[in-house]
Amino acid sequence: MPSLTVNGVAVEVESAGLHTLLHVLREELGITSPKAGCQQGGCGACTVLVDGEPRRSCLIPVAAVDGASITTVEGLGTPERLSVVQAAFHERYGSQCGFCTPGFLLATYALLERSPRAGRAEIEEALAGHVCRCTGYVKIIEAVEAALRGEVAAGTEPTEAVTA
Amino acid sequence: MKAVGARLPRYDGVAHVTGRTQYVDDVRVPNMLWAKALRSPVHHAAITGLDTAKAEKIKGVHAIVTWQDVPKLVYGHLEALGIPADEPLLAKDDVRYKGQPIALVAAEDEETALEAVAAIDLDLEERPALFDIRKAADPDAPTIHQWGNWYPHFENEMDVRQIRKGDIDRAFDQADTIVKGVYRPAAIEHVPLEPQTALVVPEPSSRLTIYSCTQALYFSMGVVAAHLEVPLNRLKFVGGTVGGGFGGKVDTATETISALAALKSGRPVKWRWTREEEFLCSSTRAPWHMEIADAVTKDGWILGRKMLTLHDSGAYARFSPYGLTKHSFHHTGAYTIPNLHFDGYVVFTNRVPTTAMRGFGVTSVSFATELHVTRVAEVLGIDPFELRLKNANRIADTSPNGVSYTDPSTVPTILAIADAIGHELPADYRTMTRDSRAGELLPEHLVAQVGEVDH
Repeated sequence: MPSLTVNGVAVEVESAGLHTLLHVLREELGITSPKAGCQQGGCGACTVLVDGEPRRSCLIPVAAVDGASITTVEGLGTPERLSVVQAAFHERYGSQCGFCTPGFLLATYALLERSPRAGRAEIEEALAGHVCRCTGYVKIIEAVEAALRGEVAAGTEPTEAVTA
Repeated sequence: MKAVGARLPRYDGVAHVTGRTQYVDDVRVPNMLWAKALRSPVHHAAITGLDTAKAEKIKGVHAIVTWQDVPKLVYGHLEALGIPADEPLLAKDDVRYKGQPIALVAAEDEETALEAVAAIDLDLEERPALFDIRKAADPDAPTIHQWGNWYPHFENEMDVRQIRKGDIDRAFDQADTIVKGVYRPAAIEHVPLEPQTALVVPEPSSRLTIYSCTQALYFSMGVVAAHLEVPLNRLKFVGGTVGGGFGGKVDTATETISALAALKSGRPVKWRWTREEEFLCSSTRAPWHMEIADAVTKDGWILGRKMLTLHDSGAYARFSPYGLTKHSFHHTGAYTIPNLHFDGYVVFTNRVPTTAMRGFGVTSVSFATELHVTRVAEVLGIDPFELRLKNANRIADTSPNGVSYTDPSTVPTILAIADAIGHELPADYRTMTRDSRAGELLPEHLVAQVGEVDH
C-alpha cells in the first residue's frame, strides 16, 4: 500500500497501485486543484510537485511515487495568506476561467525555487507544457515575471472588489 | 466611475489561485455513479438493432438509458424561436455523425461503465456520408437529413436566407470592375480545458439538482425540462463556473442525458467527457464557404455585393439557422454597400453539429470581407486604408437588414490602426470622422440608403 506525504500530511493510499496519482488525489483524498483536463499528459492542468519537481499526475501510477512528498496548490498558501506565486497570478491577472491555473502555479513555483533569476526564454520553457485557452499567455508570463522579480509580496491581503 | 480604467481584483481571483474554485468535476456527493456513452462508431447509418440486456447484467451497472427512456425524444435548441425540432436526444432510427450518443451507462466507476458500453449490442446498416457542403446539391449526393441536405424552414418556409437591398442589377451595370473571391474558413474546436461535465443529483423532494458547466444556464434548464416533460420548478441548476467555453458550452450536451440516468438509477450521476470525446464528438465552429462578387468603381466605391454563403451545420440544425441569419445581417462587414443580393444556406453534413464560437456567424464574414476589401484595393491600385475609410460605416448608414447605425466605430478604428503602424494617409483621410455622410463622402449611390437615427 503506497504511502505519500501530501501538502505535509502523511497518508496511506487505499486505491490500487495502478490508479493514477491524479485519481488518488481527486477521488480518494478529495484534493481537487489538479484537474482532469486531458488525462493524456497533454494539457498540464493536473500538474503537481513530486519531491519538488512538476509532474503530470494523470500519467503517474501511484505505486511509482511511493514515499514521495506531493505538493498541490492547496499546499502553497491560503486565501488569507497567499504565496508569492499565487499573489502574482491574482494581482497580474494571470488567470481567467481558472481551470489551467493550478498547473501554471506549480510550474512557476518550481521555476522560482530552481532559477529565481530566469529570463523570458527560461520562463517560456518552464511553462511550455501548459495549455491555457483563455488568456493568450501574455498575462501569465507577466505574472511569472512579477513573481520572479519580487514585485509582488507574499501574504498580501487581497484588495476589496469595488462595487458600483 | 470607480471601475472604468481602474485595475480591479477579479471577484473570483483568490479562489482561482488557491484551487478553491469549484468546477462541476470538483463537486463531491455521496453514492455517485459515473457515466459513459455508447456513441456512433460511423458517420451515417440506420440503427437496425440495439440491445442492452447483456450490459445491464454486468456487476456495478445501475442504469442504461436509451431513446426509450426519453419522455420527449426530439426537441430543438431553438424551438422557442419557431425553429422546428430535428435532433433526438439519443439516437433512435439513424445516426448522422460519428460520436452521436446512442446510450448512456451509469455504473460504480468509469471502468465498469466502459465495460458495459462495450457489451451493448448495436447493429448498424452503414450509409454513404456527406462531408463537403459544396457537394450537398449534387444529383448523386446522399440524403443525410430527414429534411434534405439543407435547412428548409426560414421565414415563409423558404430554404434560403435572403437579403435583397437597393438595385443590384443597376449597381453591376454601373460598375467599372467586378471583383470576385471565394473564402473558406475551416472548422475550429473550442478546446476548453474543462471538458463537458454534468453532475445530476436526484433529491428526496423529487427535484433534480443539476451541476452544469453550461454557458447558458437558463437556456439549458429549458432544454432539460422540455426533454423530461417536467416543470422548471423540478430542476435546480447550479452553474456559473465554467472552465472555458468560448461558445462550445452553449449547446446542452450532457445535462439532459445525465438527468435521465440519475432518475433511472435513483443515484447521483456524473458524466465527464474525455479529451478524445471533446475533439471527436463535441460541437465545433462551422466550416463556411463564401463567394463574393463586388461591383466597384475605379475611384474605390463599392456599389453592390452579390454573395453566396454555405454554412456547414453538421448533422443537425441546433443554432445554425440563427448563426446564418446573424451572418447575413453582417455580410458587408464594417462597410456600407447600398445594393445587396445575398443567398445563404444552412447545409447538413455528417460532421458533428456546429455551434457558436466567439462572434457566432460573424467572424466568418468579417474574415471574408476584410480579405475581399484588400483584394478590391489591389485590383484598383488604391491604398487599402483609403478604400476602407471611404466605404466605412458612418452614423445613419444602414446595415444589410436596414438598421441605422448610431455608433459605428469603423473610422476611428482604422485611423488608430494606421497611426499604430505608421501608415501615412493624406490629410483629408486623416481627418475623417464617423459623422453622417456629406459632400464627397455622400455620392449619389449612397444617398438612398441613409436612414433616420434617433438620438
